[in-house]
Amino acid sequence: MTSTRFPRISLWRTIVALIFAAGVYATYARFALGFQAATNLTDPQPWGLWVGLGTLCGVGLSAGGFAIAASVYLLGFERYRPILRTSVLISFLGYLTVIVGMMYELGLPWRIWHPIVMWNRHSVLFEVSWCVMLYTTVLVFEFSPALVEKIPWVSVRELYLRWHHSILIALVLAGTLLSSMHQSFLGGLYLITKGKLDPLWYSPYLTTMFYLSAIPAGLAVTIMALYLCVRSLNVKVDLSLSTEVSKVMIPLLALYGVFRAVDLINRDATAYLWMWREETLSFWLEIGLMVVAPFVLLNMKKVRNNPQRLYWTCVLIVMGFMANRLNVSITGLQASSGVYYVPKWTEFAATFAVVTAAVVAFRYAVIYLDILPKNPPQPRWMVPSAAAEA
Amino acid sequence: MANTKAILIDITKCIGCRNCEQACKQIHGFPPETEAKLSTMAFTVVEERGDRFVRRMCMHCQDPACASACLVGALQKTANGPVIYDASKCIGCRYCLVACPFNVPKYEWTKLVPYVKKCDMCAARQAQGQPPACVEACPVQASISGTREEILDEAERRILGDSKYVRHIYGSEEAGGTSVFFISDVPFEKLGFVAAPKQPMPVLTASALSDGPTVILVGGALLSGVYWITQRRAEVALAEAREKSEKERS
Repeated sequence: MTSTRFPRISLWRTIVALIFAAGVYATYARFALGFQAATNLTDPQPWGLWVGLGTLCGVGLSAGGFAIAASVYLLGFERYRPILRTSVLISFLGYLTVIVGMMYELGLPWRIWHPIVMWNRHSVLFEVSWCVMLYTTVLVFEFSPALVEKIPWVSVRELYLRWHHSILIALVLAGTLLSSMHQSFLGGLYLITKGKLDPLWYSPYLTTMFYLSAIPAGLAVTIMALYLCVRSLNVKVDLSLSTEVSKVMIPLLALYGVFRAVDLINRDATAYLWMWREETLSFWLEIGLMVVAPFVLLNMKKVRNNPQRLYWTCVLIVMGFMANRLNVSITGLQASSGVYYVPKWTEFAATFAVVTAAVVAFRYAVIYLDILPKNPPQPRWMVPSAAAEA
Repeated sequence: MANTKAILIDITKCIGCRNCEQACKQIHGFPPETEAKLSTMAFTVVEERGDRFVRRMCMHCQDPACASACLVGALQKTANGPVIYDASKCIGCRYCLVACPFNVPKYEWTKLVPYVKKCDMCAARQAQGQPPACVEACPVQASISGTREEILDEAERRILGDSKYVRHIYGSEEAGGTSVFFISDVPFEKLGFVAAPKQPMPVLTASALSDGPTVILVGGALLSGVYWITQRRAEVALAEAREKSEKERS
């Protein structure tokens, strides 16, 4: 008896609609009224939530794609192949989110193409912008088979997929190098803030730290997405794969934690660890969420082997990761800037709307494309890889 | 860069008349109201610190952080000394505001087509051999201009010749050296001057950037090598599997 003309009104759809409505207003505020109406940004705090959350976290949390692609294609860990497309799709949508977010962030977004023709090779941001452009292109190609295989003409499809197969390894190789470079360079952006950024975060090794933290965080996002797909999209994926991935995350988190500790000791910055101030509290929140708690939890079998517990552990990692990026971009610069920046609600609204759009796109991609369980139709000429058989 | 222009501001001489502020505002067509801090319509301001007057302006670093940070090269250090801004290149990323150790660049937050604003040391006037407007307006020569060498010599002569001066020329080392110098009889930190790093700021990012090609080469070689091993293993496994099945068949 239900009418098919209108979509059903469910709780989630209502939430999504509200987020989009708020996003529409934020977009209006940003582009029709300007920065002052849409943000709480000021000269002493020129980068806020849109950089800290939108760009730094957006790129960082999209690191799963290159990590899994490199594992499968370059390192030959065939067992991760079932989650390859999921992780590449997350990265692809993540980078699109970053680029759309950049349109809000830039003062003159219609000039976003300027770095293509106006070069300054002494600028870390220049390198970041080129890596993001190139890697997004790589992701388009890496993800393209999922779309192309839906083309009804067999010859076109096969022609493209054959070509794609021949360049795939080169793509993955380029993608891995580009990702490694700009994940690090995002940290490198803050190397020039010496004297401004709090000693708990300022380090000549900010590049390495951003790289080391992005990989486990990107993997955590992949695990979360798989769990949510199984729960709500009725896909059949073997969640023991998530357990496998989580085992890899333990040494990665430990490596990151040890690196941070050694760096603090080397720089004689340990005194800052025990001061009663907001920066120190934020630091411990970050380390607790991203390193200590997940390290303890993932070492427990009953957490690793239980999809729901594993999911919530990954939520902790992602929250800790976001705390780190916001600490570097906002909390750590607060004292030197002399202003207390709290984002305006429209800043949150714009970011949430863009991220929600990516989540909705992810959902429809999983529903209508062959991202998860159903094996992609293999072209006749493709020999199944030997490692998969063995 | 022998002809690089520079400015010396002698805090002991400033009387706080704000003629420099007014001259600056006039030449840029800004409203004449005096402002407490540097802004998009005040490229120099005279701040009161105790019983001293401290003029603020862009330091025009020798190797500027802002110019190294700008991804499209909108900010440039000219051979003449001034650090200038090409608004037609700017994309509004505001990394220059983040990078500047002296917090000089300001952004037009209220505008729909916002640009970065800062002092350009009257580059156009200097190119014609005229002093910057602020310097010209100073009735007591608290600000003087000249070539960087002349100005540094004069600053040194003054602090060595009079014991009241703090024995430091602010700007001689800060951020690797600037083109605007301050001398004072009150310690600089008490006048609100930042303790900027002593090395040129772009050095901080240069090492990371120079790692790029190495990462590409070494990383690329390493990954290709690993891929080759992976491939080889797969081939061997395939051959072994074939052999096995052939044996079983025979």
